[in-house]
Amino acid sequence: MSTTPDTPRTAGRSKARSDERSGSRAAGRSPATTIIVTAVLAIVAIYFLIPVYWVVVNATKTTEDLFGTSGFWFGSSFELVDNIRAVLSANGGIFPRWALNSLVYSGIGSVLATYFAVAGGYALAKYRFPGKQFVYALVLGGVLVPGTATALPLFFLFSSVGLTNTYWSVLIPSLVSPFGLFLAAIYAGAAIPDEMLEAGRIDGIGELALFHRIALPQLVPAIVTIVLFQFVGIWNNYFLPLVMLADENLYPITLGLDNWRAQTDRLPEFYQLTVGGALLSVIPLAILILVLQRFWRGGLTEGSVKG
Amino acid sequence: MRSKTAPWLLLAPFMVLFLGTVIVPIIMAIGYSFTRVERSGLLGEEGLTSVFAGFENYAAALANHNFIASIGRMVLFGVVQVTVMIVAATILALLLESAAARWPGFFRATYFMPYGIPGVIATILWSFLYIPGLSPIVDVLGLVGINIDFLAPEVVLWSIANIVTWTYTGYNMLIIIAQLKSIPGDLYEAARIDGAGSFRIVKDIQLPMIRPALVLTIIFSIIGTLQLFAEPRLMQTMSSGITSEYTPNMSAYAYAFQYNEIGMAAAQAVIIAVSAFTLSAIALGISQWTERRR
Amino acid sequence: MKPTMSRRTALAGSAAALATGLAACAPPNPGEVNAQATIPAADGRVTVSYWAWLKDLHKVAEVFNQTQDRITVETTWIPGGNNGGYAKILSAVAAGGGPDIAQVELRSVPEFALAGALVDVTRYDFASIADRFDPGALTQAQVGDSTWALPQDTGPMATFYNREVLEGELGLTVPSTWEDFRETCGAVQEAGKQMITLDPFDGSHPVGWAMQSGAVWFRPEGDGWIVDMTDDASMRVAEFWDGILADKLIGTGYGSFTTPWYAAASEGSVLASISGSWSDALIETVPGGEGKWAVAPMPVWSGDDPGYASGAHGGSSAAILANSQHPVEALEFLTWMCTDPAGIDAMIEFSGIGWSPAADYIGAPRQEPSEFFSGQNYNEEVIVPMAEGQNLEWTWAPLMQRAMAIIGDGMTAAVNGEVPLVDMFADAQTEIVEIMRGIGLNAEEAR
Repeated sequence: MSTTPDTPRTAGRSKARSDERSGSRAAGRSPATTIIVTAVLAIVAIYFLIPVYWVVVNATKTTEDLFGTSGFWFGSSFELVDNIRAVLSANGGIFPRWALNSLVYSGIGSVLATYFAVAGGYALAKYRFPGKQFVYALVLGGVLVPGTATALPLFFLFSSVGLTNTYWSVLIPSLVSPFGLFLAAIYAGAAIPDEMLEAGRIDGIGELALFHRIALPQLVPAIVTIVLFQFVGIWNNYFLPLVMLADENLYPITLGLDNWRAQTDRLPEFYQLTVGGALLSVIPLAILILVLQRFWRGGLTEGSVKG
Repeated sequence: MRSKTAPWLLLAPFMVLFLGTVIVPIIMAIGYSFTRVERSGLLGEEGLTSVFAGFENYAAALANHNFIASIGRMVLFGVVQVTVMIVAATILALLLESAAARWPGFFRATYFMPYGIPGVIATILWSFLYIPGLSPIVDVLGLVGINIDFLAPEVVLWSIANIVTWTYTGYNMLIIIAQLKSIPGDLYEAARIDGAGSFRIVKDIQLPMIRPALVLTIIFSIIGTLQLFAEPRLMQTMSSGITSEYTPNMSAYAYAFQYNEIGMAAAQAVIIAVSAFTLSAIALGISQWTERRR
Repeated sequence: MKPTMSRRTALAGSAAALATGLAACAPPNPGEVNAQATIPAADGRVTVSYWAWLKDLHKVAEVFNQTQDRITVETTWIPGGNNGGYAKILSAVAAGGGPDIAQVELRSVPEFALAGALVDVTRYDFASIADRFDPGALTQAQVGDSTWALPQDTGPMATFYNREVLEGELGLTVPSTWEDFRETCGAVQEAGKQMITLDPFDGSHPVGWAMQSGAVWFRPEGDGWIVDMTDDASMRVAEFWDGILADKLIGTGYGSFTTPWYAAASEGSVLASISGSWSDALIETVPGGEGKWAVAPMPVWSGDDPGYASGAHGGSSAAILANSQHPVEALEFLTWMCTDPAGIDAMIEFSGIGWSPAADYIGAPRQEPSEFFSGQNYNEEVIVPMAEGQNLEWTWAPLMQRAMAIIGDGMTAAVNGEVPLVDMFADAQTEIVEIMRGIGLNAEEAR
């Protein structure tokens, strides 16, 4: 825990150091070691890529070839375009709708949750007020309780006000990011000097404007990290929508694809839809992860400590 | 520090949502866990009343062999899967950081990529690689004379473990890499002046320095294990070995939405939460203890 | 932030919150729809929604929609029962919504009624049409005086067997009594084959055997339940199968209609399946089975108390859900679908249902000899008597999902030689009574 508060300040330095270290140490490696280590890493990479490779290859097949030809290579015909078209138009275009729902839940949820968490974290870090320790403790306690424990009462709570089976039932719980609150508090404590705020106050800037105009720009790295974590967290969520939603039109991609997969028992043509749908939902995410990889690094240390 | 209302104003949106969607439901769950329903008529059609049940639900949950078996299953799963995953993540992190390999950026990105794939979709992908007739892996293994049914009752737990390992190894690896990068360079310098080889550096410097991160990732992975739900639930239709009460979370879900025993469901959820709580406290205790010993 | 400090505060905080919150919280009651006034028939046009996992049910609804213009039935596919469909229905109903009609397996009907999710159709003058239903089907949807759903299809058990191998190759005859069955199993094994194979986890077979033998495991009495799994009818079943399992006379590695079963059936090394009438469609997919298979009655008990001709295996119902605004129209549609020849034929053609729930109509396609089954007119010759010879005393209890799991676990233990079925039935009886009390019912073990 003690290593965290100074992370933002030292991150730049330690990175520079490590790069220099890598360079100087690599110079002493024998080519044989490089080949062996690279080979081992490549074999591991195959393991991580196999399911993705499988889905890419098999999304190009007909249902017949899916079962009739080897899963490791392409079938007799290349049906990718037809399959994708089938995925996009099945059940009156339900798949694009699921994708859109996932985007709505994750997009709106992650941005608002981050804004709320950063505001709260900043308040905890930069103000002294009675009840502060209590808030910290309450949030910490809440974080450790698994989602299942709260989902059922939350369901009854929402159903008593008629919110179940609406966008709100998934969106509202997604607006809370206790992890983001902690991360923002730690980051704000280190990245925003008190003097800066004092100077702003002397200039007559109000407390809320102080947060929006002076603090927020300093917190951008933390904000990016929280948005990413929250986005992936909501995108991956299965339990909450499973409990809350009955209407297929409100499903996120996870629940929708599960619904298709469940039909494969009875109707084999759903195999092809599921495979195509899985391809469509994996590819953008994989690209997103690869492109944004460097943004994850900063937040991960904090993530490890805060869970 | 000046205004009394400002911090609360800033906290308000978060706190309102947090209280409404986390704290109030937790209190409700605890409330449910102490109640029992009494039904009159054959199926309760003549009315039902909620009565205070004391610790009855908790006693029944802890005497329920399916529930206890589900916890035992998750402990076994956690011990094996978490160990494998953390060891793999550590080795991969050390190899990537050793700068002995080509294209470290490509490998790092590849290993991390599954983290962005939802558990549901990861399970769907892997299940295609498990289903006999569809899976090329089963075909290939069959050719060399190994006939394995990944969905057989005694095997399926490890098939699920594979999915979880696949998803989270890269994520844990990045955490460990971040910790490795924060090791001061002078430590390496000093070691090299002493003539230490790669293995000595790993053993004497890198492993001790990343221990706090390791302890925490381990404990949090175990807590995650306790909450396993999506993967086994999806595979339930494929393997007769997976019952409706296969994991503690599935059990609580079944009691709530299938068995009409909300009090019992709540008691089980509270037990899961308390276990997670206890494990987290142990995690914090261990990390503080190792910190102090240094 | 100092964790030690926070933890203490956390405890104090949660304790305070608890004390205030605890008293106020009790789980919500399900709606008491069956105590409210009935909803009269609508004046104008009505749309009735219907959730089911039956294949191509929308085509059946389409046939009905064509016949009149007052009621439009819209169907939505949901995952099968315990694979997610039930949770979906129940949570939708608990949230105050859900469709007008949902598919519910016959044995799960009481669980849905207990959850407050069903309308008792006797409140909508069901009595006037009750005689259009096959009693063996209808009684399975009734508890006490209430009728909680309309049966949609059933599965009277029969023996489906490979006649060419059993009679032609091995020179044996299909067993007509359980004693014969035991001997046949032994003779088949001497030829290196299996008569049947069972998946011990599947509790539906022991239940079917007990029903046929004349057991009534769950008996409504007054406003409580008597659980009796140790009467003579149950015990002869337990003893008989204990003997079969002890001598390993059947296969226990996999159940009927699994991938390995199909492989074994197609090469003639598994010869039969004693299961619901819907098995016919599955057996027709055994590769190379055309013309070789046949159907015979379920083996019966000989002696003073023969029990019944057959037991029930699977089958489902269409139930009117608690939040339906159009129960009258829903009932009208269901009556058509489940008893009108056009409805039955449509369900057979499009959805491939099991046995017809109608009293006197088994479906047009089922009145002709089958080429696959050795040219036998098996539906009229064999299944009709099986459907007529059902145990009408049997009532499903509101915990069948768990009861089936208990039986399945018990069968597994019996197969492994750990606990014989005679003890397992007694243990299960105790456990089931405890569960019934746990969900707030009056229940007692039979003495």
